[in-house]
Amino acid sequence: MALTGDLRSFNFVDIFQVIGKDRKSGILFMEWKDLTCAYYVKEGEIIFARPIDKVYRVYADKDFDLLLSKLRMSAEGLSKTLERFLISRLNMKEGIFSFTPGFIKYGGEYPVVYPIEELIVLASRNLTPEEVERKISDELLLFERVPGKEEVLQKAKLNQMEWHILSLIDGERTVLQIRQMVNQDSLLADRALYALLALGLIRRKKKEVKQKQAPITLELLAKIIERIRSL
Amino acid sequence: MRQIKKIKVVIAGPFAAGKTQFINTVSEIKTVKTERRTQQSSEKSVKDYTTVAMDFGKVRIDDEHELYLFGTPGQFRFDFMWEILGEGALGIVILVDSTDPTTFHEARKIINFFQSRFPVPIVVGANKQDMPNAWSPEDVRIALDIDEEEGIPVIPVSAIDKESVKNALLTLFEIIRTNLTG
Repeated sequence: MALTGDLRSFNFVDIFQVIGKDRKSGILFMEWKDLTCAYYVKEGEIIFARPIDKVYRVYADKDFDLLLSKLRMSAEGLSKTLERFLISRLNMKEGIFSFTPGFIKYGGEYPVVYPIEELIVLASRNLTPEEVERKISDELLLFERVPGKEEVLQKAKLNQMEWHILSLIDGERTVLQIRQMVNQDSLLADRALYALLALGLIRRKKKEVKQKQAPITLELLAKIIERIRSL
Repeated sequence: MRQIKKIKVVIAGPFAAGKTQFINTVSEIKTVKTERRTQQSSEKSVKDYTTVAMDFGKVRIDDEHELYLFGTPGQFRFDFMWEILGEGALGIVILVDSTDPTTFHEARKIINFFQSRFPVPIVVGANKQDMPNAWSPEDVRIALDIDEEEGIPVIPVSAIDKESVKNALLTLFEIIRTNLTG
């Protein structure tokens, strides 16, 4: 099933997050005003970018190795295509995307110069105030660190300020307090929080779910469940 | 006359997520709607009428109890109603239109809203799974940033299908049962 959407409502960080999370393989299409690009995704990593004139042409090349030899593209040249057709466009806010899983047959191993984690961080540095507000929507939000994410952290290549913000997250400080402690434009702090969240390095602190006072008995609950089943 | 006790469940979600349909599908009464014509052009292009206060449907449980399903208005300008409707709810179903990723961020904000005010179980229904371009519940979960440990299941829903709506409600009530016994 293809994932489709618009960059205005679903930015690059979000797209990379979805692709990376399940280590998906397939092709991400981006339709810009000036260009349509196919991004080849292998197990959650974007390894190659290719401008295309017609989307259907991509479907003619199902074998990735054959495609590379047809394009006379060396494995070393793959990252250059990402720099030219993806990284330089991470600040663009208008475009339609669709991700088609499966379909392409990959052969061996290909170099991953820009891991998806790093792409998430690079993309987050271009987020607008409106975009960050979608997830960092409340000054009182609390985040906590997710343990055991050393590999993600290594691949993400955080800058000094992003590291600093990560170090401030302790499950006690609110977004407001973190912004104040960073003592810079709050957008920078929010972008970093957005990226850390997308990387799975931090999560919203779980609130204890409890009923205020047992408003319902187990017996009544069993009746409700039975009744719903019988509808 | 014996007074009927009300058990309240809230059905929330962004504009056009399918809340009214969800209630319609299982309610034993004709859903009470508070709809007005949509005014904003972005909304008009999606549907002609929208809920402005609440929708209301119910299911009789026994002689003493009724399950009330309250549907909230989807737009943030009506969020004062969310607060009112959330009070005293046993649980909350948040519907998301799986075919419209433009509403996913709204949905996350709605989850944040209810999570921070009402510490009751929440189930997210990835609605419109009957449509060909629907995102899978797993992809919706990732897009909504719902951590597995957050305890909010994201389940497939098709609000026009009774079994699917029943399944969403049953999932919610099973969590309530687990919380009560745990």
